[in-house]
Amino acid sequence: MEEHLVLARSEGIQKVAFDSTVKWRELFRANGRTNIRACLLVLTGILMLVNLYMIFMVAPTDAVLGHVQRIFYFHVPLAIVSFAAFLVVFVASVAYAVRRDPKWDNLAHSAAEVGVVFITLALITGMIWAKPVWNAWWLWTPRLTTTLILWLIYVAYLMIRSYAPNPSKAAVYGAVIGIVGFADVLVVYFSVQWWPGIHPTPVVGPLADAGSLDGTMRSVLLFSMLTFLALLTYLIIERMALKDTEDKIRDIRITMRRARQDGLPGD
Amino acid sequence: MPLFIALQIDLPSSNLPWLFAAFAVSWAVFFLYVIYMTRRQQEMQSQIRQLHRALEQQEATDAD
Repeated sequence: MEEHLVLARSEGIQKVAFDSTVKWRELFRANGRTNIRACLLVLTGILMLVNLYMIFMVAPTDAVLGHVQRIFYFHVPLAIVSFAAFLVVFVASVAYAVRRDPKWDNLAHSAAEVGVVFITLALITGMIWAKPVWNAWWLWTPRLTTTLILWLIYVAYLMIRSYAPNPSKAAVYGAVIGIVGFADVLVVYFSVQWWPGIHPTPVVGPLADAGSLDGTMRSVLLFSMLTFLALLTYLIIERMALKDTEDKIRDIRITMRRARQDGLPGD
Repeated sequence: MPLFIALQIDLPSSNLPWLFAAFAVSWAVFFLYVIYMTRRQQEMQSQIRQLHRALEQQEATDAD
């Protein structure tokens, strides 16, 4: 019986979270990271507002596509930042495979979930761009097809984790998919070089042609990437904190159940 | 000489609804995701309260 009481206290949950009026932000104060997250939230909010101002007021209108080209300042950063999220999944999965530390699994799982949100939005904004520009919602070009496969891989990652018989197996399955699945990120990135098609080539990064983008447009794009990177970081940290709480509650429940099964009173 | 000239469908400005759609969908999805996380957090709070009650009862039993 003492075991679960000690566990509950040792995790720092009881002191903070057992107040009936406690707010979720107060709950996470037990982890000592609330102030950092609050600062990051404020910073991300400010960056988002400045980003919108730059997209609509600073970035010049494209001479050929007109205003619809401004989707580019959301679409490209969403895609690039989702790649960054999947890179985090890859690194955290490798770290988990080597060290078997649940914190790495927590990071991988959180980054994968947030990455799926970003890549979903990249696909949706791409389709909204394609309709007026290509006169089609979707074309089976290599870039679009490989991106759809990427989306399916990481949706499968989340599904397999949720269907796994226990958390340790979910972590192992997740690590395998997180490592193998990252190969498709590279395929997506290089697809426009390997199989040139209707999709525009990169305008920033090592594959970009010099002078492929107006200077102001480039600045706005880079700022937008920075903004979405801040949003990604904030969402991953929040998701990690939530998963950490879920795991602790699950552990306490398991301990209490075991205590009850051993003939001792529990919940 | 006409005073006003109607905007043609193929002019760039006519694409504004697509621009609006892209930004609206993006913001909507981000808000929905944040709402999802907030609701999960509320569920966790509820479970923590249940555990708290159980532990308090147990402490009372142990004290007796």
